[in-house]
Amino acid sequence: MKKLFWRILLASMLVLPLGGLTLAQDDVVTIEFWGGWTGPDGDIMADLVNQWNEENPGIQVNLTIQQWSPLFDAFVVSASAGESPDILAMHPQEMPQFVELGLLTPLDDVIEGLEAINPDNYPASAWNANIYQGALYGIPLDLHMHGLYYNLDIFEEAGIEAPPATGEELLEIGRMLTIDENGLHPGDDGFDPDNVVQYAINMHTNHHAFFQWWSLYNQLGGQLISEDGTECVMDLDKAAEAWQFLQDLVYVHHIAPQGQTDYATDFLSGRTAMLIDGPWRMPALEAAEEESGFRWASARYPQVFDEQYAVWGSSHIFTLPALADPDKQDEALMFLEWLAANSAAWAESGQLPAFRAVMESEEFQSMYGREAFIEMMPYEVLFPNTPKYSEIFASNAPTPMMVMAQNIMLEQADPRTEVEAACEAITSILATP
Amino acid sequence: MRILPRPRTAAAEASRLRFRRQLIPYLFLLPYLTFFVLFRLGPALAGMGISFTKWSIVGAPEWVGLSNYEAMTRDPRLSAAVTNTLFFTGLTVPLLVVLGLALAMLMNQPHRGRALGRVAVFTPYVLMSTVVGVIWTWLLEKDFGLINVYLSQLGFEKVPWLVDQSTAMYGIVLTTVWWTVGYNMVLFLAGLQDIPTELYEAARIDGANAWQLFRRITLPLLAPTTFLVLMLTIINSFQVFDQVYVMTSGGPGTATLTLVQYIYTTAFQFRKMGYGAAIACLLFAILIIFALVQTRAYRRGVRGVAA
Repeated sequence: MKKLFWRILLASMLVLPLGGLTLAQDDVVTIEFWGGWTGPDGDIMADLVNQWNEENPGIQVNLTIQQWSPLFDAFVVSASAGESPDILAMHPQEMPQFVELGLLTPLDDVIEGLEAINPDNYPASAWNANIYQGALYGIPLDLHMHGLYYNLDIFEEAGIEAPPATGEELLEIGRMLTIDENGLHPGDDGFDPDNVVQYAINMHTNHHAFFQWWSLYNQLGGQLISEDGTECVMDLDKAAEAWQFLQDLVYVHHIAPQGQTDYATDFLSGRTAMLIDGPWRMPALEAAEEESGFRWASARYPQVFDEQYAVWGSSHIFTLPALADPDKQDEALMFLEWLAANSAAWAESGQLPAFRAVMESEEFQSMYGREAFIEMMPYEVLFPNTPKYSEIFASNAPTPMMVMAQNIMLEQADPRTEVEAACEAITSILATP
Repeated sequence: MRILPRPRTAAAEASRLRFRRQLIPYLFLLPYLTFFVLFRLGPALAGMGISFTKWSIVGAPEWVGLSNYEAMTRDPRLSAAVTNTLFFTGLTVPLLVVLGLALAMLMNQPHRGRALGRVAVFTPYVLMSTVVGVIWTWLLEKDFGLINVYLSQLGFEKVPWLVDQSTAMYGIVLTTVWWTVGYNMVLFLAGLQDIPTELYEAARIDGANAWQLFRRITLPLLAPTTFLVLMLTIINSFQVFDQVYVMTSGGPGTATLTLVQYIYTTAFQFRKMGYGAAIACLLFAILIIFALVQTRAYRRGVRGVAA
C-alpha cells in the first residue's frame, strides 16, 4: 500500500516540473522525451541527446529515463492529468494498450513527406510491428532478438569447433559441456545431476522461459491469438511439443539448470558454457573481455524445429503521445529524423539499428558479435499486438504465460495440460472487455 | 451615557485561556493531520469509491456497482493470494515475535559483544528491500547459491528454494525474518529496559527462579510492547510485497503471489483500478478484523494482569 502511494506521488512529482519547464523560455522549444533505458544504453541515448542539444540551441530535448514499467505508470498518470511527454519510447507490444486508451497519435499522416522516417528506410519486420488496426503508431529505433553466446575457452578446451545450429547439435554439444563434480557428463554411468559444476546452456528457464517457447513454437509455425484478437488459437500439439523440448533440456538431458536466476553472471564466470540472450548483453561481454580476457562469440539462435526458422524478437520504437502539445510536433519529428540518421552510436548499446543506412554501414556490420544478429533480423517474431499484452505476457505477474512457463520448467508439469489451461485463460482475458 | 466595554470577568478570561490551551495540542497535530487526511485518509476513501467502478486511470470511472466484489468470489488468483498471504503471516509473525523477544533478552544481558550483537541483528533492517531481495536470491540459488553449497557440504540434500512451489514461500519467510527481526528486537529491548530492576531483585530474594522471573515479571510488564510488536508485525506481514516482488514476482506459478502484489499488478500493470481497489478493500477489512480482535484480547489480558 505504502509503495503504491509513493509510486503515484513520484509519478506526479515527475510530471509536474516537466510541464512548467516549457513555459520558462519563450524562444526555445523544449521537447520532453521519455525512455526506459536504464542500462549502458541509457548513457548512449543521453550522449545522442546532448549532441543534438549542442547542435540545435533552438530545440532542446529533455531526456527522462526510468525503468519501463514505472515509466508507463508515470505516462498514464500524467495523461490522466491531461499532460504527456512529446516523445515516448516503448516496445511494439506495449503500444496497443495505449492506443486503446487513446493516448497515442496515429502517424501515417504525420510522417508523410519525411525524408528519413519512411518505410523504405526500414526492414519490413521492424516497420510493420508498429501497425495496429491498420494505422501506424511507432517509428522503430532498433531491433533485438535472442541469439546464442558461447564461451570460446570452454569450447576450445572441449575441442568443439562450431556452436550448435540445430536441436540435435544442441543436445550433443550440451552433453559434452555439462560436467558434474566427478567430471562425468550426462549419459555417463554414475552422472550426478544434483551436483553439476558446469552446465552447457542457460536458456532462461525461469519467468522468461516463455520467450524461448515463443521461438520454438514459431519454428513449428504456431499462432497464438486469432486475427480479430478475440480468442486464443494456440495449436496445442505444437505448443506442447515446443515446451517438451525445453523441459527435457533440464529434466531429461540435464544440460540446462533448473530455474537459474542470474544467468548472465553464470555465463561470465564460466559456470555455463552457452547463454541465450539478446544483443543488449554485448556491452557487458565486451567489458568482461577487456577486464579479464573473457573470450566469447555469438551465433544464431538454434533451429530446433525444421518447419521454419524463427526467433523471438522485439524492437524499441518512438511514439508521439496524443496529449502532447501539437505545436511541438514538428520539432519532435525533426529530432527523430536526426536520431534515425545518427543512430550508429546506438549500436554500441548492442541493439541493432533499424535504420537501413546505419544497419548496412560498414562501421556497424564490422562490429564484433553483431553478424549473427544481423542475419536473424528478417526472422524475428514479436509477441502479438494486443491491448491485453501485460495481462497475458507480463513476466513479473501471475499471467497465463508466466504461470505456464514456471509450472512446466520448474514444477515439471505436463506441457499438454499447461498449454490447454493457458489457452483457456488467454481466451477469457481477451473476452473480458 | 457612554457605554463602556463590559469588563472581562475572571470567569470569561479563564474559559478563553482554557479554550486556547485545548487548541494548542491540535495546532501541533495540524501538520500531521493535514498530511494524514490528504495522503492517507483521502486516498483510502477514494479507493473505496473506486472499488465500485471500472476505471483504467485515464478517462472517467464508470460506475459498476458491486460487480468488482462479485468478480472476487470467482477469481482463483485472488484465493491463491489470500491463502499465500495468510500462510506467510501465520509463519512469519510467531517467528518474528518469539525470535525478536529471544534476541532482545539475549542482547539485554550484560556480556561482551552485546553492542556488536545488537548492531549485527539490527543492520539488515536498514537495507533496502531490493538489496535484501537480490542478496537472498543469490544465497538461495539452487545450484550455485551459498546456502545450498553449505547444505550439500554438510551432507544434506540441496533445497530448490525459490524454484519450487513447495519451498518458495519458506525462502521468502527466511529472508523476511533475517531482514526484519532486528526491528522487533529493538522494540523489545526498549520494553525490557523499562522494567525496573528492583522487581527482579525483590523476586530473586523471594527465591524465584529464572523461568518464574520471566513468566511473572518480564512477560506481564512487557505486554504493551508485545501488543505493539504483534500488531505491527501482523500488519506488515499482511502487506508483504517488496521482497517477494524482487525474489519471485509471485512465482513459481502463483506460489508466492501475495495480496499487495496482486493489488499492484491488477491496478497498475493491468490498469484495472476498480478491481484492484476492491481487493485493497478486502485487505483493509481483514486487517481491521485482526486489529479489533487483538485490541479486545489485549484489554482482557491487561485486566487479567491487573486483577
